[in-house]
Amino acid sequence: MITYNDQEVLFTAIGKRLHKNVRCIAFGGTAMMFYGYKDDTKDIDLLFEHLEDRAEFIRVIESMGFQQSSLFNIYIPEKLDPHKPLMYSREGARFDLFVKQIFHTVTSPKMKEDMFARHEFKETYALTVAVLRKEFIVMLKSVTERDKDFEDILTIVKKEASFNWQYLIDEVLWQYKNGDNWVLMDTIKMLHELRKYVFVEQKYLKLLTKELKVNKK
Amino acid sequence: MRNQDDILRKLEGLQTIESASHVLGMARQSTLNLLSKLKKQQYLTTSGGGKRKRLYKITLRKQRPRDPGMFDIINKYSPHMKIAEWYDHQVHGVYGPEEALIDAIETQSFRVILASLHLFKHITDWKKLYKLANERDCWNKVGALYDVARLFFKAVRIPSRYYHVLSQKWVQLSQLRKKNFPDIAEKWRVFIPFNINDLREA
Repeated sequence: MITYNDQEVLFTAIGKRLHKNVRCIAFGGTAMMFYGYKDDTKDIDLLFEHLEDRAEFIRVIESMGFQQSSLFNIYIPEKLDPHKPLMYSREGARFDLFVKQIFHTVTSPKMKEDMFARHEFKETYALTVAVLRKEFIVMLKSVTERDKDFEDILTIVKKEASFNWQYLIDEVLWQYKNGDNWVLMDTIKMLHELRKYVFVEQKYLKLLTKELKVNKK
Repeated sequence: MRNQDDILRKLEGLQTIESASHVLGMARQSTLNLLSKLKKQQYLTTSGGGKRKRLYKITLRKQRPRDPGMFDIINKYSPHMKIAEWYDHQVHGVYGPEEALIDAIETQSFRVILASLHLFKHITDWKKLYKLANERDCWNKVGALYDVARLFFKAVRIPSRYYHVLSQKWVQLSQLRKKNFPDIAEKWRVFIPFNINDLREA
């Protein structure tokens, strides 16, 4: 497990070894730690906009002893192609590195503009980590469907009185219209499960199921 | 023993020791012990104390220790005009007025750029500022802002070797294409969005 302090030390060390500026987006457990929702995570999930940025990041983590590992048993096989992440691990730490897309989910204009935080780890060059808003984290966690992803969603929703459901639904619909076939079904499934634990208004589910029916017709 | 989430939910917000013990229905010393425990777990930060009343800020999320970012630096040096941050910006490494000024220009936000004018009082490393501005292609904007700032308050004087226009292309500081301070705008080829009244407010 990687703690918040480990993560900060790791990012600082990576920032020091970079040969160019690198930008990425943090989601999943990493973003949750930046938010303060939890203290440790199994993996650090990062999304890069450019392949060159990921290549530079990989060069650095390989020099720190990280080795590429298999995706087997971690992600659902049907979801993996063609935008599968590269996974690098060392002892208890693991990086899941995506480029441009997280499976079928693309970086929307809202994701780029409306972030929760921006952390820069600087020396000669900077590693800039943008932290996604909680609504995006929930959406991506319902897509990735790994162990504990649902638990994390529950933690966020329980702790956030100001969780913006409409914002989440708008983003899910945007992703669906832009080619992500999984996100709608996954979010509907997640919301059904979530309603067993917390109150989520029926109208949000209806908005999603309506879209699904329209497209089936 | 009550669930910690329930306690946090009840206490969420700003509390004094009296209000917290009232909310929890506990004795003062027991409440203090509980608040101390929450502080260790990073759910609580304190302010005030001494002559002022001690205030406890309690959240459901952990309040991580922060490193200063652009908004912190601007708010530190801008005496009257403060900026409400719309995202949490933190820089883990060297970050001073020079970097904050360049980041402020990059936001293209009217208020952020206006508040950042006060940073010119604290620029000491012009070489660094020149290099950073060159990397992001915004030296003309820095020059124009410097000239505007000098009209209203004492700013650190720029070394003459850096005081020159780099590009003849007109650029905008924000979305407004106004030519306030026409001499300065013309010289640096920069549309200056704020007028004298905005600067007086800042």
